[in-house]
Amino acid sequence: MIRAEGLVKEFTRPVRRTGPLAGVRSLLTRERVTTRAVDGVSFTVDRGELVGYLGPNGAGKSTTIKMLTGVLVPTAGTVEVDGRVPWRDRTRNARGIGVVFGQRTQLWHDLPLRDSFELVAKLYGLDQPDYQRALGRFTELLDLHEFLDTPVRGLSLGQRMRGDLTAAMLYGPPLLYLDEPTVGLDVVAKARIREFVAETNAVDGTTVVLTTHDLVDVERLCRRVLLIDHGQVLYDGDLAALRRRYVPYRDLVVTLAREDDGPLVAPPGTTVVERPRSARDTARVVVFRFDPAQTPTPAVVAAVTAEHEVVDLDVTDPDLEAVIAEIYSSGRVRA
Amino acid sequence: MTGPVATSTTGATTAAPAGHLAAQARALVAIGRQSVRSALAVRSEVLVSGVAVLVRVVLVILVWRAVYGSTPEVVGVDRSTAVAYAVLGAVFTNVLNPFWRSSLEVRVRQGRIAVDLLRPVGLVPQTLAQQVGTTAAAVPRCVLAVLLALVIGALQAPAGGVLGLLAFAVSTVLGVAVALLCNLVVAMTAFWTLEVGGALMVYRAVAQFASGALIPLWFMPGWLRGTLEWLPFQAQVFTPLSVYFGTVRGWDAVGAVAVQALWVVLLALLAQLVWSRALHRVVVQGG
Ligand SMILES: Nc1ncnc2c1ncn2[C@@H]1O[C@H](COP(=O)(O)OP(=O)(O)OP(=O)(O)O)[C@@H](O)[C@H]1O
Ligand SMILES: [Mg+2]
Repeated sequence: MIRAEGLVKEFTRPVRRTGPLAGVRSLLTRERVTTRAVDGVSFTVDRGELVGYLGPNGAGKSTTIKMLTGVLVPTAGTVEVDGRVPWRDRTRNARGIGVVFGQRTQLWHDLPLRDSFELVAKLYGLDQPDYQRALGRFTELLDLHEFLDTPVRGLSLGQRMRGDLTAAMLYGPPLLYLDEPTVGLDVVAKARIREFVAETNAVDGTTVVLTTHDLVDVERLCRRVLLIDHGQVLYDGDLAALRRRYVPYRDLVVTLAREDDGPLVAPPGTTVVERPRSARDTARVVVFRFDPAQTPTPAVVAAVTAEHEVVDLDVTDPDLEAVIAEIYSSGRVRA
Repeated sequence: MTGPVATSTTGATTAAPAGHLAAQARALVAIGRQSVRSALAVRSEVLVSGVAVLVRVVLVILVWRAVYGSTPEVVGVDRSTAVAYAVLGAVFTNVLNPFWRSSLEVRVRQGRIAVDLLRPVGLVPQTLAQQVGTTAAAVPRCVLAVLLALVIGALQAPAGGVLGLLAFAVSTVLGVAVALLCNLVVAMTAFWTLEVGGALMVYRAVAQFASGALIPLWFMPGWLRGTLEWLPFQAQVFTPLSVYFGTVRGWDAVGAVAVQALWVVLLALLAQLVWSRALHRVVVQGG
């Protein structure tokens, strides 16, 4: 569906002068600075995939998406979407894609949300019955009832984002680009949008490229992730595999019924990790660490509960956040 | 990867070339209509711009009557024609006042150009459709201003009866088209440098003056008029007004209208050419 090869985008701007007559001198200067926002990115995305496109601030994610959507012309490299070069065949490409830039809106500021939807339907040549059906479905899925007739300038961020998602999906594009669709939303709104994206991908088979800084989005939605930094791909592959590469273990956290439960018995394949007692703990908490690829989780649970009287237990995977933080700060992915 | 595009909820399919053009045309009409509604959406803004044009019309009437005083004629232009010209000039200025709040140059500076470029319609036709919509929204207040001028006797019906009115209408439409295209071409310089504010202000002043919207070109010295003949500005305002007052009539009027049409074609081609260059220079400000 998408094929990018050696994509490069450079931004050039004249050097800004300071001091007296700065404006005039900026105009006259020939000196320019060039930033390479995207620096040789290659990847393919197949039909029906849901890919997380991740990276720290300024990594080049949005710039890549703008090239994939045909808004920007690449400085070098090639990009093909469904057999078309997006910037060269921009209007035709636009018909087959839906785009949400979380930071800006495609809705008409002064008009009711519904009017924007109607225009979108006309722009994409939807006939009335199809439009009504799609609108009904999205109104239901994203709970738009309350604010369909409110002018867009009067919508809250979360409402506007749901409006933007609807506008991007109304004409049923087979390919959806979401650039930070959950930025600034509350937990309920985020959950709703995640559910919507998951359903779109699973039910309609829509291919989704998702950019986000919210790792819960990533964990809930993406099997495959593409990590970039400084415009270059650091990692392209399975999210679970990436996590295993960093922290090949899982923790079983149990709360023991009694303070004094005799000596701790670690079942085969597990090690006991001491956890400093926190003020919140009302009882003794023990952590058994194991590699789920070697020792199945149910076996560990069974062995521990057979040895000790347990009032609570919890299985936790290591924090994706910690993994991503390490990658971002080291600027590379461990082999 | 080619093959039919899988559509999920709806029937958006890859259209054949002819269907593609028809779809674009329908989309443009929709954009134009939406722009009309956008321009009329904020009541206070509509009211203020309506009052503004009325005030301006009344002011130019007062000024030009004062200028003439008791002189019946200046360089062959009589008092009532001069006043009437000023009225129509003020109305045209109000409509053609370049660079609306959502003009291309503003959209480039604010990064909203990204949204425009996601729409399945070419940028040049799309921007024009927006501007046509905004212009159309100005028609009611202009009609009101013209009616006011007619009622208080500052304006007479066009020369040449119904035919004259028709010729004026055609010439006005072409004049508006020339103005919108000129503005578009100039606004596209924003793709090269964002610091176009000052230059656009100069352009706006020149355009108003050279189009004959402020002062009839009849009053200009010969060398200046000769120069302006070669620029697309007088086709915006002076030509339709000349047709209105019958200073250009018969075949001359047809010729003048043909020149307008020629400008429309040339400027449309120029706009497309400039855009094909600008395409590679697009940057999106912010996020
Ligand atoms: N219009 C522009 N002009 C100049 N430089 C730009 C422009 N747009 C982006 N850049 C630069 O390109 C780089 C990549 O920006 P981009 O917006 O693609 O990052 P991102 O990965 O989306 O970041 P974020 O997570 O903060 O949204 C940044 O260094 C940015 O400063
Ligand atoms: Mg971004």
